[in-house]
Amino acid sequence: MRLRTFFLILLAVLGAWGVLLAQKPFKQYPGGEDGDIPLPPDYQKPAEWVSARLRYRDAFGRRFRGFRSEGAWATDYPLGDRHLIIGVQRLTRIHARSVEQTVELDGSDDLYNWPFLYAVEVGQWTIDEKEGAQLRDFLDRGGFLMVDDFHGLDQWEIFAEGIHQVYPDRQIEDLEASEPIFHILADVDPKVQVAGLAALYRGRTYEQASDPYPRWRAIYDGKKRIVVAICHNMDLGDAWEHSDEASYPADMAIVAHRALQNYAMYDLTH
Amino acid sequence: MFEFLFKYPLSIYRQGTFIFLAGWPLWLMGLGVLVAAGVLGFLIWRQGSGSSRMGVVRRASVWVLQTALAFLLLFLIWHPALSVSTLKPQQNIVAVVIDDSTSMTTDDENSTRKEAAEKVLNGGLLKALQEKFQVRLYRMSDHAERIDKLEQLTAGATATHIGESLKQVAADASSLPIGAMILLSDGSDNTGGVDLETLSEIRRQRIPVHTIGLGRETMSRDVEISNVDVSARALPESRLGATVSFHQHGYTGQKAKITLREGSKVVASQDVTLKAEGTEQVETVLFNAGDAGVKTLEASIDPFPNEENPRNNRVTRLVNVDPRKPKILYMEGEPRWEFKFLRRAVEDDHTLHLYSILRTAPNKIYRQEQEDGKQGLTNINELKDGFPTKVEDLFGFDGLVFGSVDAPYLTKNQQDMVKQFVDRRGGGVLFLGGKDSLSDGGWAKSAAADILPTTLPERKNTYSFAGADVELTPEGRDSLITRIEEDPNKNVERWKKLPYIRTFQDPGDPKLGAVVLANFVPREGGGAKRPLLVTMNYGRGRTAIFATGGSWRWQMLQPLADMSHEMFYRQLLRWVVSDTPRHITGSTPKSLLADESHVKLRAEVRDKTYLPAGDATVEAHITGEGIPPEVVNMTPEPLEQGVYGADWTAPKAGSYYVEVVAKRAAEELGTDTFTFRREDGIAENFHVEQNRELLQKLSAETGGSYYKPADAQKLGKDINYSQAGITVRETRDLWDMPAIFLLFLGIRAAEWLLRRRWGVI
Repeated sequence: MRLRTFFLILLAVLGAWGVLLAQKPFKQYPGGEDGDIPLPPDYQKPAEWVSARLRYRDAFGRRFRGFRSEGAWATDYPLGDRHLIIGVQRLTRIHARSVEQTVELDGSDDLYNWPFLYAVEVGQWTIDEKEGAQLRDFLDRGGFLMVDDFHGLDQWEIFAEGIHQVYPDRQIEDLEASEPIFHILADVDPKVQVAGLAALYRGRTYEQASDPYPRWRAIYDGKKRIVVAICHNMDLGDAWEHSDEASYPADMAIVAHRALQNYAMYDLTH
Repeated sequence: MFEFLFKYPLSIYRQGTFIFLAGWPLWLMGLGVLVAAGVLGFLIWRQGSGSSRMGVVRRASVWVLQTALAFLLLFLIWHPALSVSTLKPQQNIVAVVIDDSTSMTTDDENSTRKEAAEKVLNGGLLKALQEKFQVRLYRMSDHAERIDKLEQLTAGATATHIGESLKQVAADASSLPIGAMILLSDGSDNTGGVDLETLSEIRRQRIPVHTIGLGRETMSRDVEISNVDVSARALPESRLGATVSFHQHGYTGQKAKITLREGSKVVASQDVTLKAEGTEQVETVLFNAGDAGVKTLEASIDPFPNEENPRNNRVTRLVNVDPRKPKILYMEGEPRWEFKFLRRAVEDDHTLHLYSILRTAPNKIYRQEQEDGKQGLTNINELKDGFPTKVEDLFGFDGLVFGSVDAPYLTKNQQDMVKQFVDRRGGGVLFLGGKDSLSDGGWAKSAAADILPTTLPERKNTYSFAGADVELTPEGRDSLITRIEEDPNKNVERWKKLPYIRTFQDPGDPKLGAVVLANFVPREGGGAKRPLLVTMNYGRGRTAIFATGGSWRWQMLQPLADMSHEMFYRQLLRWVVSDTPRHITGSTPKSLLADESHVKLRAEVRDKTYLPAGDATVEAHITGEGIPPEVVNMTPEPLEQGVYGADWTAPKAGSYYVEVVAKRAAEELGTDTFTFRREDGIAENFHVEQNRELLQKLSAETGGSYYKPADAQKLGKDINYSQAGITVRETRDLWDMPAIFLLFLGIRAAEWLLRRRWGVI
């Protein structure tokens, strides 16, 4: 091997390693639930706050299912993200980027650049010990995780198994209506169950009869701050995704947007 | 040599007046010189005009030399002399002041300084003086005391105040014909020198002070701590720096250890390599202030086994660790990560009480309070209307932090209050970078623009969402704000390894007096290095700019155990508030009285809005070990509005606690406490080398002369010339001084040599 070739290869390896360690650029995955939607014109404009979406492995250990088919992490993606961001931009003083950021528990430093993390359909996720350790490290350093759109007792078990890899010794607690996180920006009534579109088509607000009630739950850190916000038996993602459709109940969409904005605001202030 | 050539010592020329005794007018001498020059010129021109060997230049040279000779002869005919004032024999007193402090026991190889002084006096000087004058002997310590004989000297006094002692002797001159003073001393003065007032008093009386310097000017083997500079007040658990200044002789290049102790407990130590001989070396030792209370801190350098004076290796200082909890108001214009992570960084700092107002939505604010790790407002109405609109409310805080807040969000009145908060209140303000901060937030045109430590750029769009690396400046290397590693060099490297900051803002150029502690270098686009952290003192307070909103990456991108982000923000916020005064600030110029008893008390009194209160009643309540409590009335200082002072004498060694209470009619304006300590028997351990500079200056300023002990016998003759005491004017001929004779010979010899060379003899 000629010396020049060797140096070129070395440079390429170092460059790849550098990218792995640094903040990764925006990328839109083609196999999301909403297909390819046009990017907003200002998608490349950097901003203070970015909504990050966790690209986890599903119960089969996959992040994608095949050609142009991403896994459960991409539910309501990317329209739900884009709509929730528009809500944040319009109703708060948070300087939000117009597109989300997809992140992975891949052992790189990229995750730590996006302190607000959203994960959907966590009733289908798989978190191994290594991933759990990284997620715990992320949360302990100051990150925040919001999980949503999982239903019934079976999916709860799967979620609990994953979160156990993160915090084996911490309790999951029900949130009281008086919690600051429900009032920090706008009042949210935790009795409201934000339903998914599929449930609404069936004329109800829940998806699984094994546990039909809205569960607003959380995991606290040692200083009694919420670090994991859990929306069980609800589908805020669907509410954001379809909040511009007349068929979706406006009162639920309002709660979904308010809840997200409250959670983001809580994260930025605690 | 001077005396050989010019017949009299230089001091006589300094004192005397030059005169001509012939009594003829000077213009006549001038005329004589002109006539001589003309006649000589004519003769030389004629004489040389026929000779080819005497050209114009050669004739001119001969003419100059002969004219000079003619001038010299005329000068002598006019009879030059000095008119000097001399002391009348047996009618004057000479005061001999002998240093009697313990530094006179210092062994300068063959004898002590006390023995050297006795040797000088008994070696003929005293006798010579007594033959012409009455001699009064004084022993000098912190005052002058008359003695009858040298045997009364003990070299046991614990302090030397040369100025005070000479002032006392000079005071005797108002009733006694003191014609001169002779000071035998090593010049080791504990007050730092002779004050101007004493010098002018002696000068006014025209008393020459002749000094005889005793002792070596440099020690052979010694390390001496010359000063320890440490903040007199501190917040609990804050990191402080004790700046230890010292010099050494005989140990260049060797290792030494500086140790800080509180009682028997070592609070910090640092190994240092000793620099060049006699060089003032300055090292900063960091330590934790610890809990609230008065700390007696001793800085020492471990003595070397063969050190000549190990007593000057330790110095004591007092640090008053104040239990107060400064209140900081953080105004943030947008929810952002820097807000969250700044609050988290200081949440475990129990000395800071942080309030925050955050604009969450266009018409909403979110208020938080953070104290002792607890969150939530203790008073639900606190700051409910947002940023304070009344001076009393705003001035209740000790420090302010402005995040991404545009200036127009505050009214003109509020902006002016922010300026007054620094200038009048003495508070600290920190401006963070942000998309609505600094230039982009219109602060350049705000009423508070003056207090900013930089001149903001006139353009907008100075805030960038791009990464930048950070590096310390030399000033940042030594600053306590940026010290996240104990070792300064490791600290510099540590800063280089910090994760890049997520955003940066061009803060413009530092103003005069501002200090740049850190710079940022954009990672992309080849942008130039710009200031990141700039501090400045303004009025009674201080301001800083930290031109980023992206230091939160130091928390998120480093291991959880890493405390650099927390340490940086805690130190920065403590700097913002630690020197913020209260309504009453009591102090004393010296918190440690080394063999002194006089203490000056000072109190700066401000009213509720921090305007100087010139009409207050101010008392100092002093308590000390083993003395009854005493109340001292403090009186207004004439030149400083709102400042009150008092003089007090600490009766004995020990610690003293002072509580200053200020009232205006029945209203109590406030209180403050401070401490000082008197220690005896330490001052003479320092500056044991002969301070020749001081002695020479003293004699030069008063018309006297400095003598080494070996030359001191000359004083018996020189001392006659003085303008003080009872004097008589005498004239001293100058025509017969050897210098004139030599000049005469020189002129003739020069002409002869020139003519010989030209072959025209």
